[in-house]
Amino acid sequence: MRSLRHWIEDRTGLGETARSCLDAPIAGGACWCRVWPATIAFAFCVQLITGFFLWMYYSPGAQTAWESVYFLQHEVAGGWLLRAMHHWSGQVLLVLVGLYLIQMIVTGAYRAPRELVFWTVLLMALVTLGSLLTGDLLAWDQNSFSSTQTRVNFLELLPWVGGGLWRLAAGGPQFGHLTLTRFLVLHVCCLSGSFLLLLALHVVLGRRADAAKAAAAEMTVPFWPHQAVRNAVAMAIVLVAILLLSLRHGISGDDRGVALGSPADTSSSFAAARPEWAFRGLYEFAHLFPGDVEILGVSLKILPIFVIPGLLVCVFLAMPWTARRPAGHPFNVGLAAVVLVGVAVLSVVSVRKDLQDEEYQAALRTEDDHAWRAVQLTRAKGIPLTGALTLLREDPKTQGPILFKTHCASCHNYLDAQQQGIKAEKPSAPNLYGFATRQWIAGLLDPRTITGPDYFGNTKFKRGDMVDFVETLYEGLEAAELKELKEELSTVVAGLSAEAQFKSQRELDEKEAARVSKGKALIGEIGCTDCHKFHDKGRLGVAPDHTGYGSREWTIAIIANAGDRRFYRDDNDRMPVYAESLGDPANNILQNRELGLLADWLRGEWFEE
Amino acid sequence: MKIPCGGDGHRPRVGRAADAEGRRGFLAKAVTLALGGVGLLVPAVTGIVAFFNPLRQKSQTGQFLRLTSLDVLPEDGTPRRFPVVADRTDAWNRSANEPIGAVFLRRTGDPQEPVLALHVVCPHAGCYIEYRDAPEGGRFFCPCHGAGFDLNGNCLERPSESPRRMDTLEVDPQALQAGEVRVKFENFQTGTSKKVKRA
Repeated sequence: MRSLRHWIEDRTGLGETARSCLDAPIAGGACWCRVWPATIAFAFCVQLITGFFLWMYYSPGAQTAWESVYFLQHEVAGGWLLRAMHHWSGQVLLVLVGLYLIQMIVTGAYRAPRELVFWTVLLMALVTLGSLLTGDLLAWDQNSFSSTQTRVNFLELLPWVGGGLWRLAAGGPQFGHLTLTRFLVLHVCCLSGSFLLLLALHVVLGRRADAAKAAAAEMTVPFWPHQAVRNAVAMAIVLVAILLLSLRHGISGDDRGVALGSPADTSSSFAAARPEWAFRGLYEFAHLFPGDVEILGVSLKILPIFVIPGLLVCVFLAMPWTARRPAGHPFNVGLAAVVLVGVAVLSVVSVRKDLQDEEYQAALRTEDDHAWRAVQLTRAKGIPLTGALTLLREDPKTQGPILFKTHCASCHNYLDAQQQGIKAEKPSAPNLYGFATRQWIAGLLDPRTITGPDYFGNTKFKRGDMVDFVETLYEGLEAAELKELKEELSTVVAGLSAEAQFKSQRELDEKEAARVSKGKALIGEIGCTDCHKFHDKGRLGVAPDHTGYGSREWTIAIIANAGDRRFYRDDNDRMPVYAESLGDPANNILQNRELGLLADWLRGEWFEE
Repeated sequence: MKIPCGGDGHRPRVGRAADAEGRRGFLAKAVTLALGGVGLLVPAVTGIVAFFNPLRQKSQTGQFLRLTSLDVLPEDGTPRRFPVVADRTDAWNRSANEPIGAVFLRRTGDPQEPVLALHVVCPHAGCYIEYRDAPEGGRFFCPCHGAGFDLNGNCLERPSESPRRMDTLEVDPQALQAGEVRVKFENFQTGTSKKVKRA
């Protein structure tokens, strides 16, 4: 053993090198002010270790990136913690490098002979920012996709080279598989490799500069263990910070660790997309510049996004030399303070704006709903090969409100009893919440509500035959007769609503089978079929067909063309024809798939746990 | 090679002060090593737990699956190859009705065990075995390394490239009486003389 150790020492000199590092003299004694490089190295080690294991689960690709992160977050033991620690050690790393940089500037530690030592820290800060940007995209959720796309689009502000750079960043003419692959390589290889190199350079150059200082110092102590123990305590504090941040949502539950948004939809954008916190100040700064001003064909936006940050980096790089001039050091400190305070103020302004922005908050809530829905559907059905986005695209609960807002909510409300739901811009048609359910039909057959805003109140049928019919039914009735009528109408309601064949009402319909069939018979007896066709009674051409009223097929058909002979014919005065012919989808506003999603959503039929 | 770490600059102390310093130094060294160790262990252990997750996942195989109806099998005992179609789970992806393997089926003429089900995967190295018809009698043959098996799945040559005979699969006897061939599809470890289910 001994001789083996000697042989290794003889050939490598590792022991001697280690000893000389451990014994390196620290001028002026050990100090808490010297712990920064150790904490930075530690946070970076956490990045390397957690990143290495994350990589074993990550699958870059437009249909697998979010999916593999989902798998890690929700299915792999400890995966959520691994992800959370990677995320938070990255944020902590940026803070540590930033604080170290500030300390170097304030204490003048960038002065000769430490110019290059300072540079390594400045470059580490830039590389960390780059890691944050590239790492952000990899989860491939709606926010990370949308905000990264915006960022990459900034490249197009650059004259001549912009278009080419965009393609190089995206890996092709659109965002997708290759964007993720490129960002992954940049993140795990180029940027972390550069950081490692800079960190090593920083230590070596720093020790060299310190050695010269130590040789001239009055008093020195060896690094080991006097400084090392302080470093270790500082590292422990960093670890505690990372763990506290990682565990802030608890250790169980679906929201533990770092949130994963809904799978990215490259065919849509996200209104509430925002950059990582470190870029918030820059984001707000860019908004101070007009987007419609060009100088020599170059947008003014190039100033806040490229020119000014680029110049600032140059000025920071020049700080060691600026400091040699009279008042140079105070200038450097002042500039750093201005930049820091400026970024902080702009960030706060930006966040406060968002807090007061109702639309932003609503977009955020919708995104949260979609994110949770994607998890729910994935757990129940598994992810198809076309990706998790397919689950959301085929889900009535997700697509219904989107389609309704786009196509229906200019006239129709969708509001429950508490007035929650989707409010029409200008209500001029019935409220469709619970359409064709017993409750909804009961309201229609009630003279107090039929002329209200939930039914015909805002339509031309407010003075129509249906309202007349209902009002006549109730006219001049004594208490006993009224009770009888109400009983009769509730039976009619049960019969008509059963036509919809709601899954939610199936049990009730089966239990009250006798009442349902009595109700169906009554429809023909109390006068409904004078205007409405109902199975073999009545005829088409006067009022909407009640055969299969509210069923999936019926609902699709009335959305497709409410002016059809089967429904309102010429009485339809405002509802657009969404699908002239279901067999000719090319000419339709709504595709068959969308009609189905809308009908399923209106009928309240979607997957629930 | 010597990394520039500076020289031997500190001045040694003597006597009682040196003793006290020695104790403090020991404590400092112990604290440093302990904190440093814990600091690196926390992310490392988390990562290792996640890394070993595959050992906790359960295999999807082991269910009886219908392969064909009995009357499709040739009366003369010639084997036929049938794909095994089932729901396939690949980490996060789930897809219905995908081929997950294949099985040779043949009539044996034995009333006790009228149908023999042989896994197509060679026990040697996991290649897919082929059936080759010949005038002197058909045989199973593994194209990768040349192992040969007779119609019952026994090794033809001694010594054989394969460590064991072809793997038989359980056939559902009740379904067989109803004219359906249902087989319990499982995968086995390769390279061993014992047939061990791949968990």
